[in-house]
Amino acid sequence: MNWWARRNLRTKIFLAFSSLVLAVLLATLGLTQLVVSREAQSTLNRELLTTGQVFEDLMRERAVRLKSNSVLLASDFGLKRVIATYDADTLASAALSYQERIGVELFWITDESGVLLTVSPGKPGVARSIADFPPIEAALRTHEAASAIAEVNGSLFQVVAVPVFGPDVIGFLLLGHVIDDALATRLKEETGSDISFVTDTRVFASSLPPAARSRAVSSGERRARLLRESTRSSSLLDVGNERFLSLAVPIDAHVAQPLYALVQGSYDRALAPLYALQLRIAGIGAAALAIALLVGIGLAGGIIRPVRTLVAGMHEVLKGNLRYRSKIERQDELGFLAHSFNEMVGGLEEREHIKDTFGRFVSRDVAAAVLDGRVPLQGERREVSILFQDIRGFTALSEQLDPATLLRVLNQFFTEVVAAVEAEGGVVKQFTGDGVMALFGAPEARADHSERAVRAALSIVSRLVTLNVQFGEQGVPPLAIGVGIHVGEVIAGLIGPDERVEYGVVGEPVNLASRIESLTKETRAIILVSKDIAGRLGPEFTLGRTNELPVRGRSQPVEVVEVLCG
Amino acid sequence: MGLKSTLLACAALLAPATLAVAAPAITGRVIGADGKGIADAVVFVQSPTDSRKMPDGLVPMATMDQIEKTFVPGLLPIVVGTSVRFPNHDQIHHHVYSFSRTKTFELPLYKGTDASPVLFDKVGVVKVGCNIHDWMSGIILVLPTPYFAQTDAEGRFTLADLPHGQYSLVAWHELSKSKPEETAQSMDVGKGATPEANFTLALGPARARPAIRGSRKEP
Repeated sequence: MNWWARRNLRTKIFLAFSSLVLAVLLATLGLTQLVVSREAQSTLNRELLTTGQVFEDLMRERAVRLKSNSVLLASDFGLKRVIATYDADTLASAALSYQERIGVELFWITDESGVLLTVSPGKPGVARSIADFPPIEAALRTHEAASAIAEVNGSLFQVVAVPVFGPDVIGFLLLGHVIDDALATRLKEETGSDISFVTDTRVFASSLPPAARSRAVSSGERRARLLRESTRSSSLLDVGNERFLSLAVPIDAHVAQPLYALVQGSYDRALAPLYALQLRIAGIGAAALAIALLVGIGLAGGIIRPVRTLVAGMHEVLKGNLRYRSKIERQDELGFLAHSFNEMVGGLEEREHIKDTFGRFVSRDVAAAVLDGRVPLQGERREVSILFQDIRGFTALSEQLDPATLLRVLNQFFTEVVAAVEAEGGVVKQFTGDGVMALFGAPEARADHSERAVRAALSIVSRLVTLNVQFGEQGVPPLAIGVGIHVGEVIAGLIGPDERVEYGVVGEPVNLASRIESLTKETRAIILVSKDIAGRLGPEFTLGRTNELPVRGRSQPVEVVEVLCG
Repeated sequence: MGLKSTLLACAALLAPATLAVAAPAITGRVIGADGKGIADAVVFVQSPTDSRKMPDGLVPMATMDQIEKTFVPGLLPIVVGTSVRFPNHDQIHHHVYSFSRTKTFELPLYKGTDASPVLFDKVGVVKVGCNIHDWMSGIILVLPTPYFAQTDAEGRFTLADLPHGQYSLVAWHELSKSKPEETAQSMDVGKGATPEANFTLALGPARARPAIRGSRKEP
């Protein structure tokens, strides 16, 4: 999961896409394999069953033909006459002649009790009884034609025994067709499946070439098992480089061990078309995969490019470039995202503009604090230092100068005042026409707000000295100012109706600070601070006179200290 | 009927010439294991074999006819030395033959009643057939004695005209599981009471024969 999470979007899309295609391809191959191999096996199975059926039909049909031929032959009066001679040589030569006439591989004649009179092929005069030889035994018992599959002199024969009537039984004919490789090969030509006639220990005949025979029909225990397993349904036999599907058809025969017609088909050869098909599917699949990968790359690129553009834009905005706008023109979700991004950055820019504009009239810090929500809505009590500044003789000045010059002079001066206050972390709270009111310690809490206020006052005075030099060059009379500073607990917060709300402080210390500023006129001091302020100043500040002065609206005089400009 | 008359003719021919005193006939029954009478069994004297000769120039004759594609009678017991005629009373040819070891002979296709008689000079069973009619089958039983009798439908027989004396009687049947000598019974044929001999034979299953094709009524 971690690994996956660390991959970039393009890799993920690409991987997901190709995994999907690969999965579909593998599923197709798997399904094809399953369906076709099952079908091939069932087809092969059917072929084997058909071969088994054809074999049985052929055997039956041969038995019927052999029987009818034999019965016809047994009715031949000439043959009866020959039998009645009981002359071995005559019988032997006649048997050979009849064997060829009827086209069988075995032609034997017995007397009425089953004693052999002659065998063909073979030596004449074999007077042994074959009364217990299965077909003869049956024919003796029923006096009707009987057939069987039996082993004769080591070969497998389909034999028929028929009685010869004259008019009662005077003998039996035993005719046989050999079951040999030629028959097996003929069966294979008809059905396409190999066939072998086997017992657990012997192979009587087979359509398989001798080299393949021992492998396919196996031997010993293995064959016994194969015959057992494939009797009811076909079984698969792996013989080295080829697999055979085998079906054993039991044959009712008179041999030492159970005889089977083992029908076999090459499983691999049957599956060859499947392998070809799979190869083709794999080829098509590989091509599809390649195409899918290319499409995947393209698609991933199509999604990734605008995302990357947006990410780059985000970096620009983080760096402060609020003028950045995405140029993505799309109708889809990415288009919407880009549009929203642009709107969002636009909103940020506007807010910044407002903050900027707002800051021209009030403190940037206040504006920022209000905009950032750092000002509690309910208001709060806090200790602040309050600085009041005033221009002396402003009325006379305003009569002296034309309005434009006056405003320029004021703006120049106030710019310096604001800079001085803000440099010390204070905020210019109010412009009173010819003066300002500034706060230190609110809205930003600062532990040394009193020192900062005094340093700001000193900075204002110092800046004014420089300004006055410029004014002098412009023919503008120098400005004189007074600054009063006091510290105390006030209530700070947002004051005013909703549409005109502003950050402000109220409380006695504000009034007192204003009164202290007023005292600068009569004491001719530039900077006057309350005793509370003076008590908080470090040794770097140079203090002057200390006076106790009465203040309007207060019964107790206020002790003020003059701060000397360095 | 032909059989009986032939036998009687033979007996009549022999008896007056050779027997001084005719004893009472031996009667009896041949029955199967189930107690039912067996037809077409032959009871004959096994010993002593009759040593009397036929009168010079007289050869006993018998006939096995062919009527409606059937041998009549189907069973013909004869004394050895008898000549049998095979007249053909059908309007078609017959080809009478036998491959029996007792007597192998052949009367190639012929019509009419003029076929040469066949002499049966060896004791035994001769099975007679027709080459062109597989179902036609007859048996000529060549016996060592002129004293024999064939059972009727109930298995009864009467063996007449035997001189007084001791005899060994045996019974034969085509399907009998026993050889005739195994059925031998000693009989004392003398004055007075009519001797009675009963035989019980176990029969094998009837042999399947070629089916008869076509109606016997056909010419």
